[in-house]
Order: sequence, then structure tokens, then C-alpha cells
Amino acid sequence: MLTKRDRNLYDRQIMIPEIGEKGQERLNQAKVLIAGVGGLGSPTAFYLAAAGIGTIRLVDYDVVDISNLNRQILHWDGDIGREKVDSALEKLSRLNPSINIEPVREKIREDNLSRIVEGCNLIVDAMDNFNVRYLLNRSAVDHQIPLFHGAVRGFEGRAMTILPGQTACLMCMYRGPVPEEKSPVIGVTPAVIGAIQATEVIKFLTGVGQLLTNRILLFDGIDMTFKEFRINRNPHCMHCGNIKGKE
Amino acid sequence: MGIKVHVHQSHVQYTNGERIIEVEGHTVGACLKNIAVKYPEFGKQIFEKQGKLNHLFEIYVNGESAYPKELEKEIKDGDDVYITRLLSGG
Repeated sequence: MLTKRDRNLYDRQIMIPEIGEKGQERLNQAKVLIAGVGGLGSPTAFYLAAAGIGTIRLVDYDVVDISNLNRQILHWDGDIGREKVDSALEKLSRLNPSINIEPVREKIREDNLSRIVEGCNLIVDAMDNFNVRYLLNRSAVDHQIPLFHGAVRGFEGRAMTILPGQTACLMCMYRGPVPEEKSPVIGVTPAVIGAIQATEVIKFLTGVGQLLTNRILLFDGIDMTFKEFRINRNPHCMHCGNIKGKE
Repeated sequence: MGIKVHVHQSHVQYTNGERIIEVEGHTVGACLKNIAVKYPEFGKQIFEKQGKLNHLFEIYVNGESAYPKELEKEIKDGDDVYITRLLSGG
């Protein structure tokens, strides 16, 4: 049930017919895992917190570095040297004290991910490397919960939503390991993609609209274009090839 | 009318600034090889050793993924081929 404060706080989005009080209640009851509290994780977490997601679990093992500040807008100059999840916890709690923030100071590994994901309705991929992205993908498939993929480089970004067992996953187009790199990036790119990921999460939780499934959205800030391409589920996929999703 | 290949932004420096290259070929691979004849540096970027597609790049034909056998994908005049780059940053 929404409180009087909830009705005031979320008034403008409750006014949206596709959300309404029922949708807001769903947001308030949701538990979301955001993997990575950097360039993508910052805007995603800000908007999901502002929208009233009941519990946001943040996982990141890193500390804030001065070179993060051009894009990781949860972290400010005074946070340099601080744990990212602590910095994020403080900002998000100040933004919306009525939600729960669960900081997890761990590096995501194969042997701890199941515990980290436990109890969450979905995973937001806000990572900076494909090794962990594939772990998240595997975990989403195993737990049968959606994965909201985002990635950026320079002025380019991409986003895709994965409903395991129903739609194409990250591994469906696997073409070999992707080397880790220090990606060039301007802060507006993860801002755009993170906002798209947050939009998809809100749509999924409230059950409205067409999700970005079986298609990938590419953002090109240089040409200022969005392009969409169809992706096919791979029946031989190493992660989702043998499973059927919830009907 | 040939096939329009939309070159990725990072490759434009190797194609004399051209973003869209019209080319002939019955497969994606043939088209890319034809571009590489004109722009050898592009060829070094898009192909790995043994002539495989650089696995950091993806190919979409007429708005749909050409995975998994991208280079063997048959195409015809008027088709659009997009080269995109796998992004890993966050």
C-alpha cells in the first residue's frame, strides 16, 4: 500500500496511466541488483532510486578515483578514495530516504554471484568488462530473471533487455573472449544508456510497453542517431540454449 | 546499384573518410574483401588472421544480425550491411 508521502513523492509518475498506483506499488516492492556503480550504474541507480524501487542492491569492489568523476555522477570530488558503494549509498539515501539501499563490497566472481543475486527480481548490467557480463548473463539464466544489458565506448553505447529462455541473451552471439580495456568515454554516453536501462527496468516491473528484447539499440552520439537491429536467439547457446522460459 | 556497407566510425580513418561504401559482392565476406582491396588498412582491422571476421565487430544485414556465419551470409544488390563494434565499457 502506498503511503500519503508516497503519493506525493511519486505524484507525477503515478499520473502516467501506464504506471498509476498499482505500478508504483510494484516499483516499491521490487528488489533490483545493479552490478557496477560506475558510469552506467550511476544514472541507472539515480533514476531507479528516484522512481521508488523499494530495494536497490549495489555491488562494486572498487574505490573512487579522480579519473571516474567525468562520468560516474554518483561520486564527487570529496569521495576520492572512498568505497564506491558507500559513496553511492550516501547519495541515493539522501535522494530518496524511503527506499532500501544494500551495498555489497565484493568483486563479482563465479563463486559468489549466486549469493549476491539471491532474492533480486532482476539484474542491471553496469559492468565495464565482458568477463563479468557473461557471469551475469549465466546467473540471470540460472535464476530465470531478466538482465538489462548496457555498454559504452566513446560516444557510442548499446542496450538490450534479456528475458532468459524467451529472448536472445548475451551469449547467443558469442564470438570469443573480449579483452579488457581502458575504454575511452565521455560522461553523456553512459548517461544516455543508463537512462535507457532504467527505463527498461521500470517498464518490466510495471508490465508496460515493448521491452528491448530480441533487438539491440545502438546509440551514436557523434551522428546523434539511434539504430535498432534484430537479434536472434541461438538454439545452441551455451547459456540459454537448453532452457525454456516462464510462459 | 550495389550493396551499401556502413563502415564503423573507428574504421573511417582507413576508408578515406567514407562512412558508406557502395560495393559489389554476393556475400558479406566478398563485399568486405572488395573494400579491403581498395583500403588495405581497413582489411587489417576487419579481418583477423586466416581471414576470419575480427571478433570485436558485428555484422547486421538489412537490420538483422548476420551471426553466426557473417562472412558467408548471402546478399544482393540494394542490401544494407552495417558494421558495429562490440562495446565493453561501463
